[in-house]
Amino acid sequence: MIAAGLDIGSTTSKAVLFDGERILARAVIPNAILPSESARDVLSLACTQAGLDEETIKAVAVTGYGRRLAGFGDLIITEIRASALGARFLGSPHGPIRTVLDLGGQDTKVIALADDGQVQDFAMNDKCAAGTGRFLEMLARKLDCSMAEFIEAALASTAAIHMNATCAVFAESEVVSLLARNVPKTDIAAAAHQAIADRIAAMVRRIGAREVLAFVGGGALNRALLATLEENLGIRLWVPESPQTVVALGAALAAFQPLSLGSPRS
Amino acid sequence: MTRPESPYRLPPRWTDRPALLRKQQAVIAEQQRRLQELPARPPTIGFFEQRLISAPTAPKRAPRIGLLCQFAPPELVWAAGGEAVRFDCGNSAAVMAGEELVTGDICPLVKATLGQVASPAALPNSCDAWIVPASCDAKKKLAEWLADYKPVFPLPLPPTLDSARYSTWVVSEFERLADFIASITHRRIRRQALQAALALGNQRAALIRRLHEARLAQPGAMSLQDAFLLVQSSLFSPEPIETWIPEAEMTIRHAEAFRASRHRLRPRLVLTGAPIVWPNFKPIQVLEECGADVVSDTLCTGLQTCADPARTDESSMNALLRALAARSVFGSLCPCFTDATNRFNRVLDLVERTHARGVVHYALRLCQPFDLETGRLEQLLKARGIPLLTLRTDYSLEDTEQLRVRVEAFLETLV
Repeated sequence: MIAAGLDIGSTTSKAVLFDGERILARAVIPNAILPSESARDVLSLACTQAGLDEETIKAVAVTGYGRRLAGFGDLIITEIRASALGARFLGSPHGPIRTVLDLGGQDTKVIALADDGQVQDFAMNDKCAAGTGRFLEMLARKLDCSMAEFIEAALASTAAIHMNATCAVFAESEVVSLLARNVPKTDIAAAAHQAIADRIAAMVRRIGAREVLAFVGGGALNRALLATLEENLGIRLWVPESPQTVVALGAALAAFQPLSLGSPRS
Repeated sequence: MTRPESPYRLPPRWTDRPALLRKQQAVIAEQQRRLQELPARPPTIGFFEQRLISAPTAPKRAPRIGLLCQFAPPELVWAAGGEAVRFDCGNSAAVMAGEELVTGDICPLVKATLGQVASPAALPNSCDAWIVPASCDAKKKLAEWLADYKPVFPLPLPPTLDSARYSTWVVSEFERLADFIASITHRRIRRQALQAALALGNQRAALIRRLHEARLAQPGAMSLQDAFLLVQSSLFSPEPIETWIPEAEMTIRHAEAFRASRHRLRPRLVLTGAPIVWPNFKPIQVLEECGADVVSDTLCTGLQTCADPARTDESSMNALLRALAARSVFGSLCPCFTDATNRFNRVLDLVERTHARGVVHYALRLCQPFDLETGRLEQLLKARGIPLLTLRTDYSLEDTEQLRVRVEAFLETLV
């Protein structure tokens, strides 16, 4: 039996297919305008990747910002529970996961896991882009960089300059004034990473940075941010394989569970 | 006059732009539409909705006095033959109107209230005077703004809720307030009239207590949104309370008769925090839509506080004023005082008494007194193993989805 998990986020949509033992496919697409379109597209891409007919999927769980807008799904769960399930399932070579940091396009979440893997506590950013993936995307665009160039630039910087991250829109104008003062792009990129890492680290400390701390979501692909966060928190973060699809995996696990228990099909 | 005339009285500023008023109407219409979607509404609920919506155009039968917060007892106004109406405002479009007058990081309740005051056709301007308790900093300064428009009585409050120390002082302030009210209604407050007013107030409190108990026994009996509608229609309308009482009685009897046919599996929660004021029911709406039963609350605009009666064994004027002071001031759960004992006690007591699975703390953005208590409340509940979710938001609806994620994830942890 195969279950699918869809994570319809604010920027990208992700799908994972799971057969009870193995992950059969992991798909990521940039969002279409409507969440229902994104959901269908990403599920069909995952099926294509696995060489499966969509009919073989026995249950679909949907999570993420668009979970109620996808228009289908046999189960709807929050990305917080999905994150916890996915990270816990993947585990780490350093022991069980106790904390999950999930950095998405629009929301940042820190989740504390109990010994049994259940969600014990969580924190989310307030309604504002500062402290989320979108913040870095906006600043990269302001510097006329691709995200990859922006990350490389941050890694190349050795100088320390301070930048605020209380408001993503104001941060853009701060970038402009730094450029006007001839501050190198590399230092601005590093400062932007520092600024967001400060905010995220404060949120992590509020919940408690119990190790092993898994870093998931699209933000975990950013090596500069990982390095800055590790420095800021004083611990190593564990980034699982394909961190972007961990939440979709969690959804797939949640969808698979009732299948394995033989719950009735209606 | 009750206070020296300010040498800096300024000409009132008005924001009667039709676009802003239309938006305020749209906010109310949207709220009505959402309420209509509620399951199992009592057949008589329309009376309360209409009472709230038509409040700004309610016919004036006597001098009318506007009150802010629960500190100003309406009984004093009723006893002087006046109409009492609360005019704190929860309309997000009125916040925009208020921003024409006050900018900066000021709480949305104060901005919205000022926005209404500056709109000539809005409810506050049907009043002849206003009573503004000097509770938080924002309300203190609001009193100063309001004095540019109409006679205002800024009601001073003690810094702490030490009744042994401050009771006599509060009663003397209530006596001054009674004189102010009499100067507006042109009728002195007599003992028998105040006694009758207290009886009316207690009748309302008793009904709200019954509603609270009915929802506690059967949360499916009435949505908390409808319960808030019922309670707030007794506060935020100048119509006589005597017309509200029989309708409320009928509606509550209906709720008391409710028997669920199936097990109610929704987690029971206690709500604490900042006032939720018509027409902004967003926090309770999100909680209920996500599948929670909010069975009790400590909100000053909610069921618990409004169910507190004014208790008196004697009928002297002083005893009646003491009873009002004990209920309205010393029984307050407001965070504007120096310690949070009253509120924390009430939260812990309610969690135990209602068998709640968790607590939701509503932190209205920019309401500093509540926010300053958030961290300590979190620590206190954590130590007792009581799950807590803090919802920090304002009146706008743009973060509804983000709030939903928090609430749903919180509920998932309770299962």
